[in-house]
Amino acid sequence: MRDSNFRFQHTAHARDEDEGILPLINVVFLLLIFFIIVGSFSQVDPFTIEPIVSDATEALEETPLVIHMGAEGQLAIGEHNISMEQLPEELQAIVGDTVPETMWIKAHGAADATRLVLLMEQLRSAGVKRLHLLTIQREL
Amino acid sequence: MTKPAFPPIPSPLGPEHSRRRPLVSLTPLIDVVFILLIFFMLASSFLDWRTLEVMTPAPGNPASSPDKALVVELLADGRWLLGGQTLDPQSLQQQIAKQIARHPELTIMVRPEEGVLLQTAIDVLDRLRAAGASKVSLVRGRTP
Repeated sequence: MRDSNFRFQHTAHARDEDEGILPLINVVFLLLIFFIIVGSFSQVDPFTIEPIVSDATEALEETPLVIHMGAEGQLAIGEHNISMEQLPEELQAIVGDTVPETMWIKAHGAADATRLVLLMEQLRSAGVKRLHLLTIQREL
Repeated sequence: MTKPAFPPIPSPLGPEHSRRRPLVSLTPLIDVVFILLIFFMLASSFLDWRTLEVMTPAPGNPASSPDKALVVELLADGRWLLGGQTLDPQSLQQQIAKQIARHPELTIMVRPEEGVLLQTAIDVLDRLRAAGASKVSLVRGRTP
């Protein structure tokens, strides 16, 4: 008796398989729409960068030309690794003759602060006039 | 019993063989949706980036001479110095706010020593901005 009851339940379950999976599809669709709307595509950084936290409130409006600085002070623009000493020449090789007036630096919070100052000096000597640091907002 | 999601397809073999089968099988749809979901989860970034303008004096700029500006030195052992005096973050902010009240156009230079974390230097910049300083530059530390 118990066995036949089990068999009946099993068959009914198999028949309603598609209906049973509908809530799962609903949830997955909702998640998909959430990620499509809320998320924004991020470019993969050439190395791990732990963002700097600051009280800066100015939002990043445009897609800027970013120079990355890793925890060890290594530098990259996009996929191009660059050296600190040859930075003005290598920057010109990447961006062409017209060096942008403004550049953004995405630096690792554990990098050496003097290394950032050196980078800023090199960028200024390459012709960049304004420098912005990319940070995330401090949690209150 | 719930209402079927799709109308049953009449079987050519007769009514006893007709089964409730959806027009489109849901399994490939679920596969595609799952793949899209995983793609968007991996490719999305939720970091809300902010920008902080940082300045360093141009070589040869008279404002870069330390005697015309207030210098905040950050030592590798974690101490913050203003005019050679060790200050905690709160009193540094108060001292700077006092100076800014007297000279609103005062340039402040933050000079981190080698070994100071960038996050620490940015914390100091935040303190100075909170104290009302608008002209804040980062300069390189003295070589020992």
